[in-house]
Amino acid sequence: MCHVIEAPDRRPIRLVVSDDLQRSRLTVFFRLLLALPHFVWILLWSAAAFTVAFVAWLAVLFERRVPRTLHDFLAAYLRYATHVSAYLYLAAGPYPGFTGRPGYPVDVEIDPPREQGRWGAGFRLVLALPALLLMAALVGGGGGGNSGGSAGIAAVAAFLAWFACLAQGRMPRGLRDLVTYALGYGAQATGYLLMLTSRYPSADPSLVQPPAELPEHPVRLVLTDTLERSRLTVLFRLLLSFPHLVWLTLWTVVVLLVSFFVWLVALVLGRVPRFLHRFLAAWVRYTAHVSAFLYVVGGPFPGFLGAAGSYPVDVEIDPPARQHRLKTLFRFLLALPALLLAGAFGTVLLVVAVLGWFYALFTGRMPPGLRDLGAVSVRYSAQASAYLFLLTDRYPYSAPALAAPPHDEQLELVPTP
Amino acid sequence: MKALRLGTFGLAAAAWIACAWLLLDDAVPGGLELPTVNVDATFGAALVDEAERYERFLRVDWLLSQIVLLVVLWIYARKGVGFTRQSAAGPIGTGMLLGMLGLGIVWLVQLPFGLAAVWWERRYETTEIGYLEWALGDWLALGAAFLSICLALLVVMALARWLGEHWWLPGTAVFVGIAALFTFVSPYLVTTTRLEDPALVAAARRYERQQGLPEIPLRVEEVSGQTSQANAYAVGLGPTRRVVLWDTLLDGRFSDGAERVVVAHELAHHSSDHLPKFLAWFALFAAPGAYLIMRVTRRRGGMGHPEAVPVALLVTAVFGLVVAPAENWISRRMEAEADWKALQSTRDPVGARALFSGFADTSLGDPSPPTWAYVMLETHPTLEQRVAMADAWRARSP
Repeated sequence: MCHVIEAPDRRPIRLVVSDDLQRSRLTVFFRLLLALPHFVWILLWSAAAFTVAFVAWLAVLFERRVPRTLHDFLAAYLRYATHVSAYLYLAAGPYPGFTGRPGYPVDVEIDPPREQGRWGAGFRLVLALPALLLMAALVGGGGGGNSGGSAGIAAVAAFLAWFACLAQGRMPRGLRDLVTYALGYGAQATGYLLMLTSRYPSADPSLVQPPAELPEHPVRLVLTDTLERSRLTVLFRLLLSFPHLVWLTLWTVVVLLVSFFVWLVALVLGRVPRFLHRFLAAWVRYTAHVSAFLYVVGGPFPGFLGAAGSYPVDVEIDPPARQHRLKTLFRFLLALPALLLAGAFGTVLLVVAVLGWFYALFTGRMPPGLRDLGAVSVRYSAQASAYLFLLTDRYPYSAPALAAPPHDEQLELVPTP
Repeated sequence: MKALRLGTFGLAAAAWIACAWLLLDDAVPGGLELPTVNVDATFGAALVDEAERYERFLRVDWLLSQIVLLVVLWIYARKGVGFTRQSAAGPIGTGMLLGMLGLGIVWLVQLPFGLAAVWWERRYETTEIGYLEWALGDWLALGAAFLSICLALLVVMALARWLGEHWWLPGTAVFVGIAALFTFVSPYLVTTTRLEDPALVAAARRYERQQGLPEIPLRVEEVSGQTSQANAYAVGLGPTRRVVLWDTLLDGRFSDGAERVVVAHELAHHSSDHLPKFLAWFALFAAPGAYLIMRVTRRRGGMGHPEAVPVALLVTAVFGLVVAPAENWISRRMEAEADWKALQSTRDPVGARALFSGFADTSLGDPSPPTWAYVMLETHPTLEQRVAMADAWRARSP
């Protein structure tokens, strides 16, 4: 199966995924060590690639186009870097080649060189900074495919996936989709920086075609936001959040106190009583509302009660259901990986907020890609909190998807063998 | 009905006047006449000129900022309702949003005036604070203001939704309670260290006995990184009472006698119960202020509705400006009383003169500001008046 980033509005740099999720435990166990030769090679290639990119930059300034040979060299570098990152982050199984030849299970398709604007090219480094910042939060400081620098959400996902792969011999689908999304954005950003395209990277998670899976979950995001933002409330967003942060802190203290009691009750009864479930669900919703407002993912000032349906970035939570007592007993330990990933999503959310803040301040709108990425982060954090505080025993789903893929009737007509 | 209303109003006014009369009682001898002071000879003609130039700019800056403030709040009172569309909260939450946005807009338009004042103070070396540091501090102060207005609107709007137009009376009581609580805990909100000057501490203990006070802790606040101006203040209520001296007062620029006068002055604030009296005055002004807000916001449905908040902000600002002369007059009376008690305790008019001359030098205080500035801005007697009081005390106590 192939997943291509952005089919409807075909982008010049697209990630192609044909990975089958199967992993060899042995190569997973030694993955970091096995990648060492690639690190050495990519270091040398990076030095050459950035030198060539400078020449390509001069070429665009004079000729408005990157010469084909330079373009191919840079494209091969970008493909190779993505292969190595995919291998390192467990998004792919096979050991990658050293030439960046197409055909790897997580690959990049790059269009031939096209004419580029001189102004955009002249200020490319400055213009790329926001994209590089987001890339750092997604892939790590080195980015796009690079394996160096600080850890991004892909690295955290890979760290968790390492244990899962060793246990199951299979990469969890949600984590794989998260890593490939990050790599796809990294490839776009690096390609933009290296003059492979003048098209600005898009952070829209829905551009993955076919869309990433989003299985049914008792905690769901409901997004009715219009992207419009009042510049004044954007300007004072942090300060306007102060009363909410104070109230949220007080509420959280109560939740923490209550949660131990809830845990005991859930252990005994096998379910959380309805009134406690309602109280905790309101807190999870309120946290999501405040996060969405603070990080500019939502527009309006939220209410203080976490009322269902009261905010355009809302969380729907199913009524209480029976929960497995063993899962309840070890809930805190089981939740640790999810909390770790939620922390990484928090970093992404912060970058979304910083970039979105500037954009919305000038345009009065939030970019849809950034908003949706922020919404994914809010959704994951809400699911992680709901899991930790026993609103559900369903584990949070990490794929960067906001909605289930559209229902395809034709697929339904195909008889299941 | 009208007669009853008028009667109630008259009774309330009479009670207000009676309370104010009781609060105005002080220790300064009645009929004390202040002798004329030769300002140039006392402070030095050059210093007086420099202080006048320094303060003139700051006054104009303040005046312009107040005009802009009123204009902006007037516009916000008319147009601010539109921001209700930016809220997904209920009426009280929306009111909080409108209140915070109003403050935010005011902060934005006041920013240039604040920056101008910092620039001027840096030019005259009365502050060492950098622009960025100032802006950051101002931003955080704005955050505190946002929280304060949220709390205030929570009280007012919840009471207004519950009690209708009668909210203003319990609202006043709640605000006085909050102010009292804040006064009580305020000593713990500032980082200070113990005063390590045995002679000054011993003098303070002596003055405490003279003024009938128990032992009041003397603390030092480090401000020398931000300003060169000297200051001290009395804080706290009952068991939390403190006297706090800025370290700029103790850096050797003031004589021992001047430092003792400052300590005696601040102790006098406690012995004269100025902080509880300040709270009482606050209640006396808050009640008519809240009543006025209730009346003016009627046309927007009253304070239970968020649409009334922008108007309430405008009324609060105007009311604050209107009562500023009265509040400053009361404050000046309290300061004069503290000065007089300090002279009684230290019996050192020379030290007092040195202190006030030093203030002109370190803070570039204009010894004799123009009348409008004196009425609108001065919370203390002018330096000329304070020197004159020292002279008057010496004339009475040879």
